[in-house]
Amino acid sequence: MTRRTLFFTGLAGAAGCSRGSQRRLNVFNWSSYVAPNTIPDFEQEFGVRVRYAVYESNEEMLARVMSGNSGWDVVFPTNYFIEPMRETGLLAQLDHRRLPNLNQLDKPFQSPAWDPQLRWGVPYMWNATGIAYNRNLMPPPEAWSDLWNPALAGHITMLDDPVDVFAACLKKLGFSANSRNPEELRRAQQQAIAQKPLVRAYLNAEVRDQLVSGDVLAAQLWSTSAQQAIDASAQVAFVYPKEGFPIYPDNAVILRESPRKELAHQFLNYLLRPEVAAAIVVSARTATANGGARGLLPETIRNNQTLYPPPGVMSRGEWSETTPPAIQRLRDRLWTEVKSS
Amino acid sequence: MKRGLALYAAAAYLFLHIPLLVLAVFSFNSSRFTVWQGFSLDWYRAAFHDPQLAEAAWNSILIAIAATLFSTVIGTLCAYGIWKRDAKVLSGSLYLSLVTPEIVMGISLLVFFQWIFRFLRVQLGMHTVILAHVAFSLSYVVIVVMARLRTFDATLEEAALDLGATEWQAFREITLPALAPGIAAAALLAFTTSFDDYVITSMVAGVDSETLPMVIYAMARRGANPVVNSISTMIAGGLGALILFSERLRKS
Amino acid sequence: MTQLRRLFLAPASLTMGVLFLAPLAIIFVYSWLSRGVYGGVAAKATLENYQRLFDPLYAVILLRTFAMAAVATLGCLILGFPLALFISRAGARKNLYLQLVILPFWTSFLVRTYAWMFLLRDTGLINSALQSAGLIRAPLPLLYNNGAVFLGLVYGYLPFVVLPLYATLERLDKNLLEAAADLGAKPWTTLTRVVVPLCAPGFRAAALLVFIPCLGAYLTPDLLGGSKTVMVGNVIQNQFTTARDWPFGSAVSLLLMAVVMVLLLLLIRRNGEELI
Repeated sequence: MTRRTLFFTGLAGAAGCSRGSQRRLNVFNWSSYVAPNTIPDFEQEFGVRVRYAVYESNEEMLARVMSGNSGWDVVFPTNYFIEPMRETGLLAQLDHRRLPNLNQLDKPFQSPAWDPQLRWGVPYMWNATGIAYNRNLMPPPEAWSDLWNPALAGHITMLDDPVDVFAACLKKLGFSANSRNPEELRRAQQQAIAQKPLVRAYLNAEVRDQLVSGDVLAAQLWSTSAQQAIDASAQVAFVYPKEGFPIYPDNAVILRESPRKELAHQFLNYLLRPEVAAAIVVSARTATANGGARGLLPETIRNNQTLYPPPGVMSRGEWSETTPPAIQRLRDRLWTEVKSS
Repeated sequence: MKRGLALYAAAAYLFLHIPLLVLAVFSFNSSRFTVWQGFSLDWYRAAFHDPQLAEAAWNSILIAIAATLFSTVIGTLCAYGIWKRDAKVLSGSLYLSLVTPEIVMGISLLVFFQWIFRFLRVQLGMHTVILAHVAFSLSYVVIVVMARLRTFDATLEEAALDLGATEWQAFREITLPALAPGIAAAALLAFTTSFDDYVITSMVAGVDSETLPMVIYAMARRGANPVVNSISTMIAGGLGALILFSERLRKS
Repeated sequence: MTQLRRLFLAPASLTMGVLFLAPLAIIFVYSWLSRGVYGGVAAKATLENYQRLFDPLYAVILLRTFAMAAVATLGCLILGFPLALFISRAGARKNLYLQLVILPFWTSFLVRTYAWMFLLRDTGLINSALQSAGLIRAPLPLLYNNGAVFLGLVYGYLPFVVLPLYATLERLDKNLLEAAADLGAKPWTTLTRVVVPLCAPGFRAAALLVFIPCLGAYLTPDLLGGSKTVMVGNVIQNQFTTARDWPFGSAVSLLLMAVVMVLLLLLIRRNGEELI
């Protein structure tokens, strides 16, 4: 019996080892955020194997990465996570010499508020949050307050994301989505708790299928995911709420724990190529931070109102900001209470 | 009353089996919706062509085999030892692990591994999943083998010792063969629980150790993906066949 | 014997010690510490985690979990006992019927939970069938509520109940049943006045066999309840992932463990026999 045990354990070990023979890069990204050929083309050109896994929320990603020992090389946090990740020593500084394509970035992203020297992350794609809904809904939703409509009970979903849910509540109450005022946050929490009985589930991008199938009639959703749903069904439409909405730039960062920083830089540089970024936009329906790519986009996408809203609409939007630690703790606590109520 | 009972039993069996049968039937549906539109193997083809799925399945099998081997060996020896004379602390912790909720086992192992990894330069991965699976299946193995041991006649061993055999020889030549069916049953139990585990695995899995249940869970959360139907049918069918086959072996 | 025996027990002791007791000890320690600024653990001692457990918010969750587990257990017992009765009276086909109960239990729990999602969702089989039969116009909200969770729990743990109840029924002294019949009792009376009371220890053991896993249920409320965090298991999972509040999650876990152990002790005391 012992001989057999050894044999099988050896087999398992051998299997594990053989997979590590090629150079590797481990990338952890949002779901549906690359084109089908983005990763294969990179693998071919650089002769490496990429392990590509997806997550549905920043929190899910951070929970994995927080240990500083997760095995991932490149992840894609939203901008307000960069500061906390940097504070806890999770990020590696970017070497601009290895990122010649940085100049392809759109003007606003070359020196953004959350990372003026682009020392920690490369802006990747950006999203805004609005309401995706079924065209059969009469009258169509126009404001966040429409998601509190009792007539829609059981057919509304909200994002499984504290920042977005509180942003909607804060905007509904007329406050800033980036509010740091504990009183305002508590009132926002009460709104969320009041809405909970009407909410079918807290779902992120995975609500797409249910929008398409008609299970869900109105969903708080990111513009990218909404566009993907619209592509799948003409019944789905998207609106940017009247009261205002948050805008989130996602960034590619390299983790400090990564033993493959050189390759990671090459990957980030690859993502900055206009044609690569443009391909991702076309396939995944994202809004890119890459100025060079925008020029390559087909007419229909460049003028797509969901992905690239006109200036009048954009002016209602608020770029997301990092919250100071004490307020972050409060927000985390308030969110736990909403989820547990 | 006999007839009423029989009728009730029929209804109960329907309740137990229909959900799986429905999944199986619709895994052959050519449409992705729950309206029958014709027979098709599309979803099975899609499942087989998915590299992520293939890797996850391979991981699951590897982990299950390794965990089963370790827990069966360790558990059998442990059961024999306890049968000879009870070890209070060990049996106590085995029973405790039996009733510990999976989520608590999962998070405690995660916390433990993360703490230990501060001192060793290791990460979460296949090895942590295998260790976790051994931890939770050990008590199952011990219980099954113990049950078998209780039907074993201890005097047979004593006779062997009287005839000059060492304790190890007595164990290997007399007891072990008699325990074989129990050990096989324990191994089967360990294998199926390991293969099916989601909660504990999801907490301690690393970058390279995605398992089949993790993939299924992600797909189930995402919504109406008919490929899940075909995978589910294959898993249920596979495990079911394994059980029936082992029962057939046991009878013969 | 002791030399060999110690050798035999060593691997198991090592495994249990390192992979079960040590982790529990660590989360015990963590439950007295504070949450790091952005998550995880900070080396600052505090009673706060245990104090939070008394917050009405979490007391409600615990009570709700208890209630759901109790209802599911009751459901399992009520549905499972007649089935166990049927099998114990089935004569030659006993084994086959037993197999038919065990078979779904052996196939994946996750798959069986997903099967109910497939049946219950708005575009699922039940709603489609009812709609095409013209019985309803709009789909019924069968998924993502407490009812679905209850259904999932009962379905998942029904085999857990049938097996021990069957075992208890098999151990019943048939002479007692004959005696009751001889004394003129009708089958129904025999059942309620003789069989059920004699099976009481079996009922208690079966109930605990279902109640405890239901208390710690995570997958079922997560998938069938729409992750609106209904039960204690979900709270624990949430603390170790999204909320990243390990100390509080540890405290909740320990609370759950304490409850489970108390129940187990009560059962042992009451039944007074070897559980397994």
